[in-house]
Amino acid sequence: MNSLVFVLVRSAKNSLLEILRKPAKLALWIFIVVMIGGFFILSLFTGQKADSFQDIIWLKGLLFGFILIFVIIAVKKGLSNGDVIFDMNDVNLLFVSPVNPRLILLYGIIRMAKMAFWTGFFILFQSQSLGTNFGLGFDGILLVFLGFILAVGLLQVISLLIYSLTNGKPARKMAVRMMAVAAFLPLAAYLAVRFAESGNILTALESALRSPVSSWTPVAGWAAECAVALISGNLGSGLLFFGMILLTGALFMVYIALSNPDYYEDVLVASETAFEKKRLLSESQVNTEAHSTKKIRLTQTGISGWGANTLFYKHLRESFRANRLGLWGGTSFFIAGGAVLASFLLRNSGMLVLLQILMWIQIYLIGTGRGLRELYMHYLYLIPEDSFTKIIWSNLEIVLKVLVESLFVFTLSGLIMREDPLLVAAVIIVYTLFSFLLLGINYLFLRWTGADISEGILILIYTLAVGLIMLPGLVAAIVIANFLGEGGILIGLTTLALWELLAGLVCFAWSKGILHRCDMPVLKAGKQ
Amino acid sequence: MINVQGMTKKYGKLLANDDITLSVASGELAVLLGPNGAGKSTLIKSICGLLRYQGAITIGGYDNHTIEAKKLLGYVPEYPVLYPLLTVAEHLEFIAKAYRLEAWEERAEELLRRFELDDKKKKLGKELSKGMQQKVSVCCALLPQPRAVIFDEPLVGLDPHGIRELKTVIADLRDSGCALFISTHMIESMEENWDVTYIMVRGRIERVCRRVELESGQSLEDLYFKITEGNGREETR
Repeated sequence: MNSLVFVLVRSAKNSLLEILRKPAKLALWIFIVVMIGGFFILSLFTGQKADSFQDIIWLKGLLFGFILIFVIIAVKKGLSNGDVIFDMNDVNLLFVSPVNPRLILLYGIIRMAKMAFWTGFFILFQSQSLGTNFGLGFDGILLVFLGFILAVGLLQVISLLIYSLTNGKPARKMAVRMMAVAAFLPLAAYLAVRFAESGNILTALESALRSPVSSWTPVAGWAAECAVALISGNLGSGLLFFGMILLTGALFMVYIALSNPDYYEDVLVASETAFEKKRLLSESQVNTEAHSTKKIRLTQTGISGWGANTLFYKHLRESFRANRLGLWGGTSFFIAGGAVLASFLLRNSGMLVLLQILMWIQIYLIGTGRGLRELYMHYLYLIPEDSFTKIIWSNLEIVLKVLVESLFVFTLSGLIMREDPLLVAAVIIVYTLFSFLLLGINYLFLRWTGADISEGILILIYTLAVGLIMLPGLVAAIVIANFLGEGGILIGLTTLALWELLAGLVCFAWSKGILHRCDMPVLKAGKQ
Repeated sequence: MINVQGMTKKYGKLLANDDITLSVASGELAVLLGPNGAGKSTLIKSICGLLRYQGAITIGGYDNHTIEAKKLLGYVPEYPVLYPLLTVAEHLEFIAKAYRLEAWEERAEELLRRFELDDKKKKLGKELSKGMQQKVSVCCALLPQPRAVIFDEPLVGLDPHGIRELKTVIADLRDSGCALFISTHMIESMEENWDVTYIMVRGRIERVCRRVELESGQSLEDLYFKITEGNGREETR
């Protein structure tokens, strides 16, 4: 036990010393502490707002849907490799040491809680939209944050449990799949019955969300009900589900520890897989497809192009090989499906809220484009072509992808919401130009930092930078829209689009020469 | 062909390369030796234009960032990085078209045959072992018929046949007048063919030695250990 406490305390101490030695990290941590502390202090003096666009029940729906994604990920992880709770240094040093394996498991789970915290941190950035749409005060946002962290933490334990129980046992894997589906069947059946009665999907959804069936749906329902009940002042219900999440997590942990003291083999595959991914990243292999086990069928082969534009055709070949529909990947379906659902939910508040949500998602998805990934490999630098031309051709794939997605998504949402076609067109332009600005900011960041900071910190600073750069355009758009009244929204959106274009051009201009005048970036993926 | 003049590279406060000067002529095989952390990979990446530095680096008389220099240069990185969703044949096709190469197919076939990859043309990058990836990486670097080739640990991960074949290819390239700059820890693998060796320690070139300067019976390995484990530091040329 002493050795584990020593590792935890010494690691924390060394991390603190490292933060103190690096001013940028220190500033970031001060910001994080001030942000959370500020939320906590403000929550003591503020309450829920009386006026809001939406009934709070829709917040439960959003939380439920969001946590459901993590439920699916956790079950899938559990059925494949299990969740990563140990690093390879733990495997190499702790697993062979004469320390009780159950205590080592406890140590792993304590460290895992840190990951759940960071996964939910983005919720704090949503305070403005949550406040506007659901009337949430700072205390409400902290409760949503807490509910989300609890759910993700419990799902990590469930993932480990599933792996431990099903590893190498196909029959058990099938049973877990069936149980996972069965857990959501009552809610699906309830929803279907309500829809058959009312003939209106929104009414059916609302009814399902208000019913105990949704609240008692494992993890997603528990966490969503816990947060929303506490926000609504329903302490009894809130504490009941809070206790259930904690109790379930504790029981599962006890079960894992007592039933399977020889769990090392179960967690080893996940640790090794994670280590291998980090190794590949440190060796400049940033393509996630490199460690995918998905079987690829070669139907068409060959690459078109000549000179720099070969990069674009190569990206197309890779995209069509990764997904049968080419530019339409898994994320496109996820965005389109989510947008259609949100369009039904947001019918009253309109297209602009949907635009805001999708722009937030785009901040994190733009980096998945093949053009940016190309910067981490040497080929782009060595091809004997003009640098600017190479960058343009290298990024055409992601711009096309965003354009195709936005045309489809916003046209469909516009039809559902019965919005003015001009507004839909303006939203498409704002969304597509936002991708241009994000690419510019990405290049600027790589130019300035050389990606020489850890991924988590990079994403946080990058999110803040996007907010700051967008702020003048957003303020101008809001002022113009309010000043001009009814028709001002279109002009406001046009102003925002122009700002995105201008700011994007400035970012590209500042990052000019990224292939010449800065180091080829190396992705920092945490310790190995 | 490859000229480095007063090159210095810093990572923050860490001096990775300190005032490096070296040159590799056409038809010359230069070996870069040094312990781990000596700054060899940093030097190689700087020569290839992948890192920012102070000083001057030219390839065939052109600044290493120019299109003309890139046309002359081939680079085999320390870690073979392939595109996971491209086949072996498509890697070569990509290089050929991006470099605007004419009539490249026969040369590609020949390279694949030499490295026993001709039956793996339709294998995806992610399906290859590390050794196979290294072979593809070498083929990609050599396809444009560069006049200067830089290898960073080229033999690591290769099977015995691959090692033999690569050594033959290196000898052929040197005979054809290509300038070769090779960083390696496998000193004995270069004993037969080297012309000049640069031994790096702590970011500086501690010794430049031509083959004719070796004492009788002294091997490259002896020289390396004398420099890296001994005290006598000689002036850099």
